[in-house]
Amino acid sequence: MIWQFVINGLITGILYSLLAIGFALVFNTTKIFHIAAAGIYVFAAYMFWFFVASVGLPVIPASLVALVLTMLLSLLTEVLIYRPLKNKKASLNVAMIASIGAMTVIINTIAMFFGNETKVIDNSILQPLTFGDIIITSPQKYQALIGITVLIIFMVLLQRTNWGLRLRALSADETLFETLGYDTKKTRVLVFLVSGVFIALASCLTVYDVGLDPNMGMNVLISAVVAMIIGGVGRFSTCILGGLTLGVLQSLTVYHFASNWQNAVTFLVLIILLFLRPQGIAGYKQRTV
Amino acid sequence: MEYVFHIIIMLNIYIMLTLSANLTIGMANLLTMCQAAFYGIGAYIGTFFLMQFNLPFLLVAALVMLFTGAFSFLVSFASVRLKDDYFVIATMGFQLIVYTILYNWTDVTRGPYGIPGIPGIRLFGMFELTGVYAYLVLSLVLMAVVVFLFHHLVESPFGRVLNAIRADEITVKSMGRNIVKFKSLAFFLSAAVAGLAGIIYASYVSYIDPTSFTLDESIFILSALFIGGIGNTKGPVLGAVFVVLLPELLRFVGLPDSVAANLRQIIYGLALILVMYYRPQGLLGKTIMK
Repeated sequence: MIWQFVINGLITGILYSLLAIGFALVFNTTKIFHIAAAGIYVFAAYMFWFFVASVGLPVIPASLVALVLTMLLSLLTEVLIYRPLKNKKASLNVAMIASIGAMTVIINTIAMFFGNETKVIDNSILQPLTFGDIIITSPQKYQALIGITVLIIFMVLLQRTNWGLRLRALSADETLFETLGYDTKKTRVLVFLVSGVFIALASCLTVYDVGLDPNMGMNVLISAVVAMIIGGVGRFSTCILGGLTLGVLQSLTVYHFASNWQNAVTFLVLIILLFLRPQGIAGYKQRTV
Repeated sequence: MEYVFHIIIMLNIYIMLTLSANLTIGMANLLTMCQAAFYGIGAYIGTFFLMQFNLPFLLVAALVMLFTGAFSFLVSFASVRLKDDYFVIATMGFQLIVYTILYNWTDVTRGPYGIPGIPGIRLFGMFELTGVYAYLVLSLVLMAVVVFLFHHLVESPFGRVLNAIRADEITVKSMGRNIVKFKSLAFFLSAAVAGLAGIIYASYVSYIDPTSFTLDESIFILSALFIGGIGNTKGPVLGAVFVVLLPELLRFVGLPDSVAANLRQIIYGLALILVMYYRPQGLLGKTIMK
């Protein structure tokens, strides 16, 4: 029985990892606490739902359309909000508060058009996989397969391509990056587009399984941010480590206590970790947190 | 007329909340996202005292402020160790933990069912305050006291030290000031005033449940504060006026209820973005968040 929970936790963890990377792409490179990601997450979910349930597209084309639209929205937050603020030399906290505003606008615009109630995407006809007494439902199978594939591709690209090198360089030191003649503005465009991909993937894969409502974004984003911090801030691979750890931890909380204490346990672990090992499990050592 | 009074009472509650948030956010540059948690703690503790004991209001208020303030040490403890985004996420964590406890500890808080039938406030232990007029007077008086207090606090020695911490923490430290003490005191006062707003709310509405004290509520208070402005008294007051009166104005436009709720959130969000771009200190504020 406990292995079922571990497996569930690992699969949830993959989804957290995806969103955590979507957040970390922006956070590591621009240092902005990208709360608008919660809104973008909800937007992706609703676009996916809209094209499946209302327009009637099959699941895969619908998710691709949602993916592209989400990338555009992610880019819009950069072009309309973060870049003008950066040009005005606004502080990071100011950018974060503007980001809160962006999240509010996105989520409520969606709620205004699609309503506040919970919606589901039909996945009932699909057969689950069984290994002994462990059951993996069909949505979980897709979550695991697509999630792992994308994470591997991203890690390879990050380590082996010029593009990945630039991304890591920008997150290490922006001033040096500019001094050496690279264009921060262009790299940031790329960052936000890729961030949109990850947020959309996390969102579509999750809502295919559990359904969607306009207020789900913030909770999931907070879990993803916690995953990022648990893993260690400043790198990307640590998001996966943190995501999987958090996923299993939350799942075991459900196993031992009840699902409604999940958030409290998550944050207790986070706060204890921040005090004992502020750089996270595998992050770079920092002088101040 | 009762409708106008109701709005004024809610306005007074929100003025207290934005002012209390301003103390830590605007003056000490500590971005907290847990004001609604203190508001909720105040409301629940106040409810406990009101329902269990027959105490005069001033005593209940003092007890609530003391207990709510005590909870603030959890946050100020975190503020010593954690900086910037880590502190923000820790306060979000505190907010979510408080909400989870209020929601799930059903033996004490009745969880999602909420607590109905909260008795009115007893002034000096004798006559019970009921009706909208009593709360109008009470909330006006308390709001005036809080505004007066915070207005003078800005220029007081305590306020000036907070301002100095905001400008340059290390310099203040090297001048021999105990930063931890000042920050803790700021959090204590901030939480105590939020708790006071909580008990007025609980007693006035006479029903509380955890959904009034969510992270969204914290973000809402934060939005009000930043739209109005930070670092002085008139900024937060204007912010509270803006967020409380806007829905009422939209009501007169005659939008359907389902759209109006979302539309006003959209307006808050847009206002927040525009204010951050054109006037990052807020409409009437003095300082800019670093």
